[in-house]
Amino acid sequence: MPAEQLPEWTALAPAYILAATAMVLFVIDSIDPDSDNRNLLAGTAIVGTLASVGVATWFLLAWGSGTGPGPTITLFGEAVVVDGTSLFFTVIVTTVTALVLLASYDYLADDPHQAEYYSLIILAATGMVLMASSNSLATVFVSLELASLPSYALVSILKRNRGSSEAGLKYFLIGALSSAIFVYGISLVYGATGSLILSDVAAALDEGADGFEGLLGVGVVMLIGGFAFKTASVPFHFWAPEAYEGAPAPVSAFLSSASKAAGFVIAFRVFVEAFPLDVVAAMGVDWALMFQVLAVVTMIVGNFAAAVQSNVKRMLAYSSIGHAGYALIGLAAITGGNPGHDATVLGASMMHLLVYGFMNTGAFLFIALVEHWDVGRTFDDYRGLARTAPFASLAMAVFMFSLAGLPPFSGFASKYVLFLAAIGAGYWWLAAVGAVTSALSLYYYSRVVKALWLDDPIDGTPRVDSYPRGIYVAIIAAAALTVLALPAFGVGFDLAETAATALFE
Amino acid sequence: MAAFDFAPAIALLPFVSFLIALTVGKHLPKKGALPGIAATAGALLLSIWAVVAVAGGEYHHAVLYEWVAAEEALSFHFGILIDPLSAMMLVIVSLIAFLVHVFSLGYMNDEGEIGLPRYYAGLGLFTFSMLAFVYADNLLMAFMFFELVGLCSFLLIGFWFRERAPPSAAKKAFLVTRFGDYFFLIGVVGVFATFGTGMFASVNGFESFPELAEAALAGEADVNTFGFAAETWFSILGLLVLGGVIGKSAQFPLHTWLPDAMEGPTPVSALIHAATMVAAGVYLVARMYGFYALSPTLLAIIAFVGGFTALFAATMGVVKNDVKQVLAYSTISQYGYMMVALGVGAYVAATFHLMTHAFFKALLFLGAGAVIIATHHEQNMWKMGGLKDRLPVTYWTFLVGSLALAGILPFSGFWSKDEVLYDALLIGLENPIFLGAYAMALLAVFFTGFYTFRMVLLTFHGEPRSDHAENAHALGWNVKFPLVVLGVLAAVAGFINMKPVEDLTGAEILYLEYWLDGEYGAVEGLTYGAYNTLVADVSGLGAADIGPLLPGVIALAVAVAGVALAWVLYNDPEPEEHTARLGAVRDLWYNNYYQDEAQVWLARNVTLPLSRRADTFDQGVIDGVVNGVGSVSLTGGDRLRRIQTGLVTNYAALIALGLVVLLVAFAVVGGWF
Repeated sequence: MPAEQLPEWTALAPAYILAATAMVLFVIDSIDPDSDNRNLLAGTAIVGTLASVGVATWFLLAWGSGTGPGPTITLFGEAVVVDGTSLFFTVIVTTVTALVLLASYDYLADDPHQAEYYSLIILAATGMVLMASSNSLATVFVSLELASLPSYALVSILKRNRGSSEAGLKYFLIGALSSAIFVYGISLVYGATGSLILSDVAAALDEGADGFEGLLGVGVVMLIGGFAFKTASVPFHFWAPEAYEGAPAPVSAFLSSASKAAGFVIAFRVFVEAFPLDVVAAMGVDWALMFQVLAVVTMIVGNFAAAVQSNVKRMLAYSSIGHAGYALIGLAAITGGNPGHDATVLGASMMHLLVYGFMNTGAFLFIALVEHWDVGRTFDDYRGLARTAPFASLAMAVFMFSLAGLPPFSGFASKYVLFLAAIGAGYWWLAAVGAVTSALSLYYYSRVVKALWLDDPIDGTPRVDSYPRGIYVAIIAAAALTVLALPAFGVGFDLAETAATALFE
Repeated sequence: MAAFDFAPAIALLPFVSFLIALTVGKHLPKKGALPGIAATAGALLLSIWAVVAVAGGEYHHAVLYEWVAAEEALSFHFGILIDPLSAMMLVIVSLIAFLVHVFSLGYMNDEGEIGLPRYYAGLGLFTFSMLAFVYADNLLMAFMFFELVGLCSFLLIGFWFRERAPPSAAKKAFLVTRFGDYFFLIGVVGVFATFGTGMFASVNGFESFPELAEAALAGEADVNTFGFAAETWFSILGLLVLGGVIGKSAQFPLHTWLPDAMEGPTPVSALIHAATMVAAGVYLVARMYGFYALSPTLLAIIAFVGGFTALFAATMGVVKNDVKQVLAYSTISQYGYMMVALGVGAYVAATFHLMTHAFFKALLFLGAGAVIIATHHEQNMWKMGGLKDRLPVTYWTFLVGSLALAGILPFSGFWSKDEVLYDALLIGLENPIFLGAYAMALLAVFFTGFYTFRMVLLTFHGEPRSDHAENAHALGWNVKFPLVVLGVLAAVAGFINMKPVEDLTGAEILYLEYWLDGEYGAVEGLTYGAYNTLVADVSGLGAADIGPLLPGVIALAVAVAGVALAWVLYNDPEPEEHTARLGAVRDLWYNNYYQDEAQVWLARNVTLPLSRRADTFDQGVIDGVVNGVGSVSLTGGDRLRRIQTGLVTNYAALIALGLVVLLVAFAVVGGWF
């Protein structure tokens, strides 16, 4: 049956499926609270997520298969919207979730809180999918909290591990502060415009702000603060290295890929839909300029700090901050006057987030594998691992080179179109900063590859005692997606660009 | 089904045989020889088919793979151009490759050599690269395959890498030709930067760079000449490309690698270092002749380099004792003739000599190879002698090859060399400066006749002078078959362009000239007639009008004189070394004019100190800057790391501070209050 003929309410099916999966997990857990039947729990979660991935992909392809952009479906009094952008990010979030769940099967084999873990992951994913579909500042906030609250718990799921608990607490405290700033910003925007629905905000701004420009400006900066927290952009990034390092590695993968992408989609939608740049810039609220500052600072801080880490997981945490800087170019290089250019820039940024989702998840899952082996956390501990685990090490090399943006990997293609789009919009210096920091990033990414493949182990062969199937399958799948994203890049980029075009209309 | 549908297969067949030899060669009965023979035979048949199609009035151009397509028609691609010149060359290359593969059965397999899959893989890769070079449609592709044949040459010269000399010879060949290719590379970049294209022919909507250059000289096209006058800049480009030509075709002063390259297996010497790869340089000039024909300066340089090399190398060949060394110097000398021909606008003569030389020189090398097998790997001619009766097939075919090399009527070499000299004389009479090149080339004919027959007489005549020569063993069919085929060709190939006969009888028998002039079919502008017009009109080189008979007689007389002197001195059952009579000159020739020593001196006393300076600069300034940037990055990163204190209250404070800074900054910029 063609997707167009389904009733409108089914457009949110990916979110419904995830929510239903979470409910099923609750039911299982309430019937047998001490269940450690990993096959049943992980199986249910994975099946539900894969179903969601399938439906989202089907919808997205159906949406983009016509000549122009597909329909924009709004539900619940316009509070929720389903369009190309929301479907695109739903695919990113659910795919990452599926990979993370797969790896968690082995990683959390000895954890007593199986059912809690899986239902929290699924609930957070539901929140992220809803973030992608939020069309009102109210739903933006609610879904953001729905994604955040399970995340705090997930970071500290290893209750007996001091690092995990400490990271969870820090994440929660900073998250609470950021949520406060964010919701304050929403109230100020409401005060200035009298609406929470994004399109109504834009309509209200069209008629002028009636002397509330200052109020609006403060509100917008505070909103940016909230997004910057969720996307781990400087200066709201402090929680990220701690949380990623302390959390179980699959959770780090989940937060740094899916959660970040979800943070970006609300930023994209809110700023493009609610605050048309040409209108608000005339009021002195040039948010593109703010994002330019954030993008440059984030790229520099993330990459420079990553270069001096000795702990691989922490290096990846900073690198994920650096990548937030690249993705921010999507908003920073918007000019407001030229919808064609703006859609290209935004589409390139969306595509970078997609590719980044695959390669970054894969990289963190490799960390999960190494933590599973318990061989250590620093670059030195990684030395010579390729001898005992060549496949995983090869996949890690692919992730590293792709993250660094070397051809012939998809990370090169996504950075290339992103920087090219920025240059096309006239922001050559954004592209220049991006290129220079990418060059720097090659230094610390290649350190990992060098340690794995070229260096000799310090004391004999590293202790690798098992080859956990779940993590391996997840890593290989992530590597396959990273590699295949290159031949499929044209298709993906077309979709992203069409979705972005629809946002601007 | 047209002949050209299979054009890519001409080169790809040997590539397949390369892959087979490389992967499963050691499990095959003849270690990769049979796929090689099959592939080169297939390539030969397809090439002949292509020649037939070109004779039917067609030419072929196709772009196979475009890897960079930029704006304004700049295109980097692999493409095929089959016109009379390349079709002829395809046949020559695939024929000789085929025969050399067959010969290798006798020279390598039957002698029990080890490492044969590597050998046949090298031959296959070489044949592939050479064929692809021949029908490349643009300069960049030609350059890439030019390099690839160089690599194959390196690999095959060093085939016996466990011995002392071959690896060092391979290295030398690689480095010396690379030195020339470095200029070629700059030339390629220059051509693309100047014209935006490297196409040889204006076909399928492409514009060729020689035609653009011609138009630019006429003021009809606008090209980027980097501030030089167009003539000057084109001469510079031509000279840069000529660097590669001189290296590859072993012309003075980059000829020193070729004699050393004889350390490789003899069939390799026949294929690569005589008939085909060394021809690549000359072929390249012919391929882009429309460009060289525009500049009288370039033509004069080519003619003089060629004439000097012809004489210079021939003198060194006179005193050598190793049969392959004699042949190596004769090869250098003969390519000098082709350069002379190209320098005087004699496009047909150059191509003609390229073809006949490919046949008779491959024959001589294979003949020498046969002698080497028969005498249990003896290469010193003073330890041979008397092989005439023991190796009759080898003797007679070798004799045919020698007569052709010496330029004796009616063997093929006579006709082609005569035409070179005749054309040089015609230009020389009108433009006296070219007479110098003619004189050197003519004098070289004498030396050629002399060293050729000194070689024949020492090798085959007289009494055996060693046990090996006495006990020479019989040879198999796989050695004789290639010799006979090439022997026939070396005898009769000259008949396709007998200029003196045409002049005498008036019969229209200049088939090669008609072929290259596009009478059967050709790309417009890539014909002898078109080049002639360019040489005469643009370069302004007029030709005298005298008949070919008298020059022909002179050339023949000089050659016969050389042969006769050799006969007098060496036709003796127990010949003596007469070289001592030459006194100091002998030492000079024997030591190759101290060329190697000169080059080593240059490398030690000029290049090395310069390199040291550059290294100091690189280590100190360049690396200093790079390391500086690196340490600044790391220090900066370290500072950033310190902000991350681990205290969540600090983070909250920093976030609040960041927000306030942002708010104040944008409030001021936006004028909110």
